[in-house]
Amino acid sequence: MSENDKFYVERCLDGHPDDYRYLVRRYQGILLANLAGKLGSRDHAEEAAQEALVRAYFNMGKLRKPDSFFSWLLGIADNVAKEHQRKEQIQRRREIVRSFSEESAGTELSQDYALEAAIAELPEAYRKVILLRYYGGHSCNQIAEQLDMPLGTVTKTLSRAYAMLRESLQQQKQASSL
Amino acid sequence: MNCEESKELLVAYVEGLLEDSEKQAVAEHLKDCSACQAELQELTGLHDRLVTNGKTLAQSSLEKDVMNQVIREQNVRLKAASRATDALKIRRTIMKSPVTRIAAVAAVIIVAALGINSIMAPSVTWAQVIEPILNARTIVFDLIIGNDDSDMVQHEIVVGSLMRRTMSNMPNMTMIIDADNEKLLALDTEAKTAVYADIAGELGERHRSFIKFVRQIVTQLQEGQVEELGEQLIDGQKAVLFVGKGQNEEVRIWADPETAHPIRIEATIGQEFSFIMKNFEFDADVDESLVSMEVPEGYTLEKAELELGNASEEDFIESLRIWAEIIADGTFPEAIGTESAMKQMPLLVQKVTAMQVSEEKGTEIGMSFAKGMLFHQTLESQGEWNYAGAGVKLGDADTAIFWYQPQGSDTYRVIYGDLSVKDVSPENLPK
Repeated sequence: MSENDKFYVERCLDGHPDDYRYLVRRYQGILLANLAGKLGSRDHAEEAAQEALVRAYFNMGKLRKPDSFFSWLLGIADNVAKEHQRKEQIQRRREIVRSFSEESAGTELSQDYALEAAIAELPEAYRKVILLRYYGGHSCNQIAEQLDMPLGTVTKTLSRAYAMLRESLQQQKQASSL
Repeated sequence: MNCEESKELLVAYVEGLLEDSEKQAVAEHLKDCSACQAELQELTGLHDRLVTNGKTLAQSSLEKDVMNQVIREQNVRLKAASRATDALKIRRTIMKSPVTRIAAVAAVIIVAALGINSIMAPSVTWAQVIEPILNARTIVFDLIIGNDDSDMVQHEIVVGSLMRRTMSNMPNMTMIIDADNEKLLALDTEAKTAVYADIAGELGERHRSFIKFVRQIVTQLQEGQVEELGEQLIDGQKAVLFVGKGQNEEVRIWADPETAHPIRIEATIGQEFSFIMKNFEFDADVDESLVSMEVPEGYTLEKAELELGNASEEDFIESLRIWAEIIADGTFPEAIGTESAMKQMPLLVQKVTAMQVSEEKGTEIGMSFAKGMLFHQTLESQGEWNYAGAGVKLGDADTAIFWYQPQGSDTYRVIYGDLSVKDVSPENLPK
């Protein structure tokens, strides 16, 4: 599965739905992390990720630049997350995070769930780099290529993302210790 | 190497991205600096958490469920479609009229034009003045973007969360907006075509209607923020003027001294967005079929592709290019922004039609233009920007036409006349 996104997008559009699985494989971890951060539970995140992936498939004809599949998919996932949040009349992510960690200890998507919540709140450019690097297993060089930016910018973005995450985790900690 | 230099490089160090010489320099520094050692330990901790979580999530498998659902739905759609090819060639969902779609985009821009939280304040009869704004079930009014009464007028009929909007510079276009369900129905009354568009997400969240916006303003008013400036003659009528000032906005309401109903409202928000509302009718008898979200009889429904989310700097640059190249014959315009863009919309439609490009291309141009302006709007609410492109020729690499400071950035992004972009520190900004 070394072909790029564009290749698989074109394959799907040319009537090979089965090839969509490679894109699913490539981005499921990223979507789960992003959605877990926004929605607060494993079940919700999986449900939303599935919905986003299916929606993306059936709307692929609207994707104008096949090589920006990832950004586009992330946008769809964010929309799905918003719809889900609205449905459940959830207003504050932090509250979800807190209630989640109280009620379902042991069944978390990953041990320290606060991290995904902090990632979900990063500005888009930083969120993308963190998600691709750690949840999509991309190297910094691959990220540079995928997001069409110089390697130096990727490094800088990553550096700043770390700083923002630390601050955000610090705040979460303080808020929960109150 | 000092601490500052070292801290800059620590993430790259943890990630193994440094050149050997840099790596060595950092390692040297770390030997004798306990502060940086502590910093490194923190970063490594975070790095490890990211890696662990990433691995855990990568093991989850959605593949089977997603693929089953895709195949199942594909089959359902195949059966439902009278022609099997429709379902397979999902790429071919192209609308017939690019003009309609461009106008639909224009409609979304208007909807999107207000993304700013506002604050202001009441006085004695103020309560009476705002009462109809807050509580009237139907409100009919004219709206002008900008501060010139002779400009394009939008006529709006608001019934609850539904509204109907027509524009004087695009007489064929009618928009019906359902704010609750975040849907927009655009009608081309000449071609008898209709398009639905989803305005959910950021677009829908940021703004619903001008009335809602004004309601938000007046309900957030606090003591001392509103002043009564006495009687004036406005639009040929005697009126009492109220002025409310917030941090970033100013609203002037002229009210009828007899009925206390607003006659005219003028609002200015941010650096250069303003609008006028006038010719109000409160609780008038409105034919509710005017705000129906159903496609009217005799109209053909077309498929729309409004993808206006996630507008980026790239989109903005593209919209500047379209503006200079297509609308203004190779020169950047006098001013940019929602107001100016709205006024240029009919000209853009005209020029694109004259270019005789494909429908798809025409739509793409309209969409890019709108998306770029949406990006500009996000700057409007987030911070500082400067436009200095008036009269600059497209391709002039030496002249800066636009700069802004992205949120959380120390440097500015500067766009030049050839549409190249550079990161520039504050002290080196163009004068």
